[in-house]
Amino acid sequence: MAENDLAKRTLSLKRTFDAPIELVWEAWTQPEHVAQWWGPKGMVLTVVEHDFKVGGKWKYVMPMPNGEEFISEGQYSEIVNFQKIITSANFRPMTEGVEIRALFEKSGNKTHFTFSVIHPTEEYKRQQEQMGFYNGWGSTFDRLGTFFAALNKKSV
Amino acid sequence: METRRDVFQAIADPTRREIIDLLAQRPMNLNAIAANFDITRPAISNHIKILNECGIIAIEQVGRERVCKIRPDHLKQVSDWIGIYEDLWVRKIDSFEKYLYQLKSKQKKHGRK
Repeated sequence: MAENDLAKRTLSLKRTFDAPIELVWEAWTQPEHVAQWWGPKGMVLTVVEHDFKVGGKWKYVMPMPNGEEFISEGQYSEIVNFQKIITSANFRPMTEGVEIRALFEKSGNKTHFTFSVIHPTEEYKRQQEQMGFYNGWGSTFDRLGTFFAALNKKSV
Repeated sequence: METRRDVFQAIADPTRREIIDLLAQRPMNLNAIAANFDITRPAISNHIKILNECGIIAIEQVGRERVCKIRPDHLKQVSDWIGIYEDLWVRKIDSFEKYLYQLKSKQKKHGRK
């Protein structure tokens, strides 16, 4: 029952990377690497804090187009080398109070990777989805979406 | 406290989002906008004022009427952000994967295993 509930408030992605687990782990956990891939393309990400240990905090900041900051931050609650990272996470001003689990599994020279975002409640997950967690804020503005599409075409 | 006036403030309120949505169709005067809502005219008027201050809409005096219209240049900031929020996690993992492979080929080049 509890597992059932967990599934309903979890977003999960699975991948198999064609790279050895040592490299995957390094790219995922070392701040100089994180700075290269965490942010959207073309955004400058600053690693403010990256204390990679249980109880350690991390905080990444990037500027938004309006000059304010988009902040990703959290605290590691579990780290098992080359296996598992669990951390709390906030993505302000969008998502707060989620838990992120990254699981790594060696498979020869490849790595199975499972990434989960666990929301505090099913309701919050749904709300995030509606707000555009999956589809962008555009889904909340139907007509406006069309308007933007026309606008983007014009500006190309 | 300093009041925030930007596109994100503008779209934070559901009524304002609806107003933006309406004005994306065509310019409207205050009465025409208010006719779409159950809330009071002063309340609508206040939302219009905020949207104007946020740079989302412009108010033009046409004869005796004040006509509100969208300012697409500012609204485009939101559009750009929609792209960023879109498929947030999928993009992040894609981005990670891409970087990982770059790293892998770089290490190969340098003879590191």
